[in-house]
Amino acid sequence: MNIGRQLKEGLITQNPVLVQMLGLCSTMAITTSIMNGLGMGVSVLIILTASNVVISAIRKIVPDKIRIAMFIVVIAGFVTCVDLLLQAFVPAIAESLGVFIPLIVVNCIILGRAESFSYKNGVAGSFFDGIFQGLGYTAVLLAMCFIRELLGAGTLAGVRIIPEQFPVGVLTLPVGGFLVLGFLIAAMQWALSKSKEGK
Amino acid sequence: MSNDVKTKEKVHMDPQYIIRLTVTLLITCMVVAAALGGVNAITADKIAATNWEKTVEAMKKVAPDATDFSDALPITDEMTAAAGSVTLDSVYEALANGQSVGYALKVVASGSQGKIEMMVGVDGEGTVTGVSIVKNSETAGIGSKVMNNENTAKGVGVLSQFEGKTAADGVLTVGSNVDAISGATVSTRGVTNGVSAALAVAGVMG
Repeated sequence: MNIGRQLKEGLITQNPVLVQMLGLCSTMAITTSIMNGLGMGVSVLIILTASNVVISAIRKIVPDKIRIAMFIVVIAGFVTCVDLLLQAFVPAIAESLGVFIPLIVVNCIILGRAESFSYKNGVAGSFFDGIFQGLGYTAVLLAMCFIRELLGAGTLAGVRIIPEQFPVGVLTLPVGGFLVLGFLIAAMQWALSKSKEGK
Repeated sequence: MSNDVKTKEKVHMDPQYIIRLTVTLLITCMVVAAALGGVNAITADKIAATNWEKTVEAMKKVAPDATDFSDALPITDEMTAAAGSVTLDSVYEALANGQSVGYALKVVASGSQGKIEMMVGVDGEGTVTGVSIVKNSETAGIGSKVMNNENTAKGVGVLSQFEGKTAADGVLTVGSNVDAISGATVSTRGVTNGVSAALAVAGVMG
């Protein structure tokens, strides 16, 4: 197991959103403000890490035929826990993320990592995989939020940076989400192919 | 990413194997359910308290004379019928020094992008004392202007214009006795329907 390599994979070469193209729906839907992005990113990170660890721990006793059902039960359990805890202790975030917290159950990053990593690797490796993939997801969310909130609403974390008449409102609409995500993916692919050529 | 999970066991669909699958799933579900029960026990009171706080805050906005609010009143079939196409969520009695000064009604109307949850205050004479939006998903920059009570062309807040309306004003309709925010007619209409329904319900309650 190589933690450094796993970190690089999670953040860059196997970034869940920009390279594996997983979890795009939530990425576009909630990235309208920095606080949303942070709340969603951290929630996914916690759920991903917890479900990775549990799935890795029970992988030897789970019959192959029903593994997906077992994954979903474990993931749904953690998601509901996080949802309840958010509602109880940070209601503001729970309200602005709304239905997207329960929808983490079907977020393909988590099921994808369960199937492709933690079902085949040890507990420690799965733990770090959860953290690093979660960080990769959060980093993309924050980048999107930064661009969309700053240019679309003219604020950052609710603080006004650009005077009200200048922001490009369309960036906070769904169409802006597609545009920003498209540009980020293009930039990522360009950077990756550049670095390959360099070698 | 690889999707070639190696099949660890041969497929034999004998009854014993099927029972094993069932029991494994059953046990997993039971463990998860128990864990969720635990988390729910910790958070349930806290969530209920937060929700109540939020409700009271919204009610204070629409019933400025009230100092206290009753628990949710029972909703009768008659009240649901009066609300028509709008969903009546809950009704609270607004109290000032123990005396009833009207009702705060939480109604859910359809906007342009989804449901608009709002609180409407109605005093003892059946006059609207205030409207406040609890939850909405209207388009940012268009319908959200209605939700934020921005001014209509007449210079009155689009939500504030409902204050003072009574059942005697007749059916509230955008364009005749209600002004819309230009470009956000559907959102304004949603709010208008909600207020009309609240007035109708308050009328039934007497």
